[in-house]
Amino acid sequence: MVDSVRITERYNLSMASILARRGVSAAVIGEAISVDMPVSPGWTVRAPLMVIGSGPGTWLACGHGAGPDWCGDLARRLAGLASVSDQSGAWRTFHVEGPGARTLLQRGAPVDLDDAAFPAGCAALTVIGHVDVIIRSLADGRSYEVAVYRSYAESFLRWVEATVAGL
Amino acid sequence: MSRLAIGGQVDRSRALGFSFDGRDYSGLAGDTLASALIANGVKVVGRSFKYHRPRGVLSAGAEEPNALVTLRTGAYVEPNTRATLVELFDGLAASSQNRWPSLGFDVLALNQIIAPLLVAGFYYKTFMWPASFWERVYEPLIRRAAGLGHLATLPDPDHYDREHGFCDLLVIGGGPAGLATALSAGRSGLRVILASEDFQFGGRLLSERHVVAGMPGDAWAKQAAEELTSMPNVRMLSRTTVVSAYDGREYVAVERVTDHLAQSASGRPRQRLWKIVAREAVIAAGAVERPLVFGGNDRPGVMLASAVSTYINRFAAVPGKRAVIFTTGDSGWRTAADLIAAGAEVAALADARDEVPAAARALLPGRVPIYTGARVADAHGAPLRSVDLYADGKRHRIRADLLAMAGGWNPAIGLGSNLGARPVWSSAQDTFLLTTPPPGLRVAGAANGKFSLGDAMRDGWSSGAQVAQALGHRAVAEPAFPTSDDPSTGRALWHVDERRGKAFVDYQNDVTDKDIDLAVREGFSSAEHLKRYTTLGMATDQGKTSSVNGHALLARATGKSLTETGTILSRPPWQPVAIGVLAGHHRGRDFRPERLTPSHGWATERGAVFTDAGLWKRAQWFPRSPDEPWRDAVDREVRLTRSGVGVCDVSTLGKIDVHGPDAGTLLDRLYTGTFSSLAVGRARYGIMLREDGFVFDDGTTTRFAADRYYLTTTTMNASRVMQHIDYARQVLWPDLDVQAVSVTERWASFSVAGPASRALIAALLPGIDLSNASFPPMAALETRWDGMPTRLFRLSFSGELAFEICVPANAGDRLVRQLFALGADHGITPYGTEALGVMRIEKGHVAGPELNGQTTAADLGMSRMVSTKKDFIGRVLAGRPALVDPGRGMLVGLIPVDHSHLLRAGAHLVRPGRAPVAANDEGYVTSVAYSPTLGHGIALALLSRGRDRHGERIVAHDPVRGNIVEAQVCDPVFYDPEGARVRG
Repeated sequence: MVDSVRITERYNLSMASILARRGVSAAVIGEAISVDMPVSPGWTVRAPLMVIGSGPGTWLACGHGAGPDWCGDLARRLAGLASVSDQSGAWRTFHVEGPGARTLLQRGAPVDLDDAAFPAGCAALTVIGHVDVIIRSLADGRSYEVAVYRSYAESFLRWVEATVAGL
Repeated sequence: MSRLAIGGQVDRSRALGFSFDGRDYSGLAGDTLASALIANGVKVVGRSFKYHRPRGVLSAGAEEPNALVTLRTGAYVEPNTRATLVELFDGLAASSQNRWPSLGFDVLALNQIIAPLLVAGFYYKTFMWPASFWERVYEPLIRRAAGLGHLATLPDPDHYDREHGFCDLLVIGGGPAGLATALSAGRSGLRVILASEDFQFGGRLLSERHVVAGMPGDAWAKQAAEELTSMPNVRMLSRTTVVSAYDGREYVAVERVTDHLAQSASGRPRQRLWKIVAREAVIAAGAVERPLVFGGNDRPGVMLASAVSTYINRFAAVPGKRAVIFTTGDSGWRTAADLIAAGAEVAALADARDEVPAAARALLPGRVPIYTGARVADAHGAPLRSVDLYADGKRHRIRADLLAMAGGWNPAIGLGSNLGARPVWSSAQDTFLLTTPPPGLRVAGAANGKFSLGDAMRDGWSSGAQVAQALGHRAVAEPAFPTSDDPSTGRALWHVDERRGKAFVDYQNDVTDKDIDLAVREGFSSAEHLKRYTTLGMATDQGKTSSVNGHALLARATGKSLTETGTILSRPPWQPVAIGVLAGHHRGRDFRPERLTPSHGWATERGAVFTDAGLWKRAQWFPRSPDEPWRDAVDREVRLTRSGVGVCDVSTLGKIDVHGPDAGTLLDRLYTGTFSSLAVGRARYGIMLREDGFVFDDGTTTRFAADRYYLTTTTMNASRVMQHIDYARQVLWPDLDVQAVSVTERWASFSVAGPASRALIAALLPGIDLSNASFPPMAALETRWDGMPTRLFRLSFSGELAFEICVPANAGDRLVRQLFALGADHGITPYGTEALGVMRIEKGHVAGPELNGQTTAADLGMSRMVSTKKDFIGRVLAGRPALVDPGRGMLVGLIPVDHSHLLRAGAHLVRPGRAPVAANDEGYVTSVAYSPTLGHGIALALLSRGRDRHGERIVAHDPVRGNIVEAQVCDPVFYDPEGARVRG
C-alpha cells in the first residue's frame, strides 16, 4: 500500500511571519498586501502570495520562487500595520498526496481531517509524533501540504517512513 | 475430538495446525485458541495464581480469568494472553503458565496443602518480619511462585502505531444491540465508528440459536455488518477493544491489527492505538455471566453456561459428553437445550429457583432430570468427574464431565465508570446498572439490563435514534426486529451454603468465600478495603467475573444490602493493554524527536561526536581519527581557535524577533539592563530575572531598526523565554504595541572565533569594513551572502576576536563548507561544545551550571548590570533579605594548588583543616575544565563571600567520586582579564 501515498519535498518557498500591530485589523492588513487574511485556521491565496492563519492576529505568508527581497517588500507594504519576520528556511514543506494521504496524517495528527471538518482551504497547526506541524488541505482529502521545523524534519520523516509502511 | 460435523462459524475446509505446551493439535479457521483446545479435548490449560490448582477454560470472552497462556516464542513472546480472545492461526505456539515443571505435575501445587497459611492478607501477615528479609528473601520467593507469564527480555521486534478517530457516535460493541444502534444512527446519516472486540460481528447471535427478522441470527448479523460496512459514514472496526473513557469525550481503543497472523506483513503494525473523539457514545458491550460460588467451582470442566453455548453453537466444539446444568435463571435452560441438540447428555438440570417460568421449561424436552430449588454443592475431580447436587434436603452425586453454571448477568459497564459514574444496584434485576452515565455516554442492550434479545435490539435502535435526534439528524423509522422468544428472568444465588470444598469467588487471584468472611471479621468491610485486603478483582481480569459476587458476599457477611455495599469503580484501562501499543512509534531512538543543527550532515562527515542538548544533537568534539582521545581533540580545538580561527555551530541558541513601537519598552521590563537606549546596529548582553528575583536566562539583544530587535537565549531556555515574552506582552502589558516571534529555526548561526577570524570573514564577505573603527565589538549589520539575507555580529563567547554569522537555515550547510574552504589557509578548526565550554570557563563566562535557577545577578558578579533607574520583572523580589545576604555563594575561579590535579564539578568547598561535613560547607564547584591555554585545571565555583577571598585556599571535596583537591581561590577570569584579545 506504499503506492497509496506520494510524498515530495517542496523547495524555493519563502516564508514570513506577519503579526498585526496593536489594534490593526486583518482587513486592513489584507488590503495592504492584496490578500484576504484568514481569521480562522485556514489559508487563502492571491498569487504570488499564500497566507495561513496561525493565531489571533498572526499569519504565515508564503511565496514560491520569490527573490531575496520578498520579505523586505512585504515589510515595507505593511509598515506601521504589522511586524514582519523572515522565516524562509525555517520550515521544510512536504506535499502528501494519494488515496492514503488522509489516513497517513490521521495516524499522526489529533485533529479531524475528514472532508466535512477539514476541506480544502483549511489549515491546522498541530503535532505529529511530538513534532509541530502545519497541515494545509489542498484538495478533496487526497492532497495536503505539511510543514515542519527544519531541525525536526529528519525525526518527522522517520515517523512518516514507519507509518507509511503500515498503511 | 469433540468437533461437531456441521454448524458453527468455523471453516472446516481450512485446518490450522497449532501447538500447546509442545503438543501439536489441529483447529479450524474461525476458532479461538480456547475453542480449538476444547475441540481437541484439552481440559486443563493453566494453574491458578496462589494455590496452583489446575484450571480449565471458564468463559468464551474477554473476562476469562483462567485460560491465560503465553503465545509465540523468542522476542515475540506474549505472556498472559487470554486463550478465549486469541484468534487461531496456522503455526500458533502457545504454552501454559504458572506451573513448574509441567502442567500435569506442578511442584507448587503443594500450596494447597499449606492453604491455611495463604488466607486473605497473607502477604501482610506472613512476610512482615524481619524487615530485612523482605527484599532479599520474601519478595523474590513470592515473585517466583506467584506467577503470570514471563516477558521476553529481548527488544520487541514489532511495530505499533496510532490513529485518531472522530465521529458523531461511537458504538462500543458489535453484538445485536451494537449493530442495531449503528444501523439506526448510520441510516440517519451520523458519522459512526463501531468498535467490536471480536473478530466477527454478531456477539450472542453467533453463540445462540436465535431467529431475527425471519433469518438465523448469525445471518442477520452478517447482513447488518455488510450494510454498515457499505455506508461511507460508518467505520467498522473489528478486533478493536475500547479500553478507556476520558474527559472531553475521548475514548482510547486498541486494534489488534496483525495479532491474528503468524507473522505480520512487512511494516504493518502489530496493534494500533486509537484515540477517538466522539460527540456521543453508546456502550453496547453486553453482559458477563456470573459464576456460582460452590465447592470446587474452579474444577476444569466447570464452565459458564453462556460459554458452553458459545463453544457449541459458534465453534461446533462440545466441551463435555455428560453435563450438569446449575442455573439461577432461564438462560441455563437454553444451554441445556444446546447441549442436547449437540448430542451431549444432560444428566441433570438444577435450578436454584423454586418456581421456573413455563417459557424456560418449554425450551427443554421432558427427558432431562430437573431439580428445582436445587443447587450444586460441590464439584469433584480435575478434570471434573462428578458433582454433588443438593436438592430436597439430600445430596445426590451425579457423574459428569461438564458443569455449566448460569448465575445471572453483570452488564459490561466498566467503561462507564471510568469517569466516576457509580453503578446502582437494581434489586428488581439483581444486577448493577449504570443509571446515570457521564455526559455523552449512553448504555444499550444487555449492558443496560435488557437481557432478552428483542429488548436489547430495540434498546440499541432507540439509543441510536436518540443520538441522531440529539445531534439534529432526522431519526429513521424503526424496522421491526422480530426475534425468537428469549426468556431471561432469573434470581441471584450468591452462595451455596452446603458446599464442603473450596469455593472460589475470584478465580484469577484465588480468593475464596472464606477469605471474604475473614476480611470482614478483621474489619475490612468496605468494598474498597475488601479489594485491597483480599486482592479480590485485582488480577489482570480486573474482577469481571468476581467483583459482584464478592460484593454480594460482603453484603451477606456484613448484613447489608448490595445497595449499601455498592461496587467498585472501574479505572482505565477496562481491559489489559500491552505497553508497546501505548508507546507506539516512540521508543528507542524515536522515544522523542531529535533536532539536528544546520551543519549536522557536515559534522557527521567530519566524524563529530554528538551530545544531547535538550532535543538537539550538538557536535561535542571532532576527533581526527576514531580513536583519538577526547581530551586531545578538545585541547587541539581550543589551541587552534586561540591561535588561528575556529568555527562552532551555535544555531541551537533561542532566537526571537521583538518588533513594534514599544519593543524597547518591553525589553527594558524583561531585562535588568536598558535596551530602549541601544543604538541601531549595536548589540548588548543582558540578563533576565524570574519574577522571584533569581536569574532566568542570559543572551544578547541587537537593534536592527528603531522598532526591530533580535535577541538570543540559551539553548535550554529557548522555549521558556519565548513563553515568558508572550506572557509579558499578552497578559502583563497588552497595552504595549509589541510583537514577538521565534526565529530559532530561521537562522543557521556560526561562531567564528580567533585572531584569524577577521581575515576569514573578510574573505567570505568582501566589501565590508571589519576594522575596529567601523565594526567594533558588539556591532551588528545586515548584509547578503550568496544573495541571501545574512546577519553579522561582533560577538565573542570565547574571549577572542570573534564574529557570529547567521544565514537562512537551509543555507547553513553551504555556509559551513564555504567557511572551511576559505579557512584552510588560516588553520581553521571546527570546535564542539566541549571546547566552547573550556574557552568560556577560561574567560569566566557563566552558562547553564551557573544559571541554575538558584543564583542572583550579584552571585554571578553582574550587579552593575542591574539597573536601579527602572522597573523590570524580578526587581522587587531580588531585594529579599535572603537574596542580598552577603554570605551567599559568589562566582570565583579555582586553580588546583597541585597543577597536576583536576577539580570535579559538584564538589563541595570546605576550608582547609575543617571536617567535610554539611555544617562546614561554603559552596560548590559549578564548572570545570582542563585549560590547554594555561596548562592546568581550572574551575568556576560559587563560594560564600567569594569575591573577598581571592588568594585564599579552599578544599574541594567530592565524596561521590572520592576526590579531594586543594585549590586557590581567584578571579573567575583566568585568561586575558584585560579583554585585549576580544578587541583585537
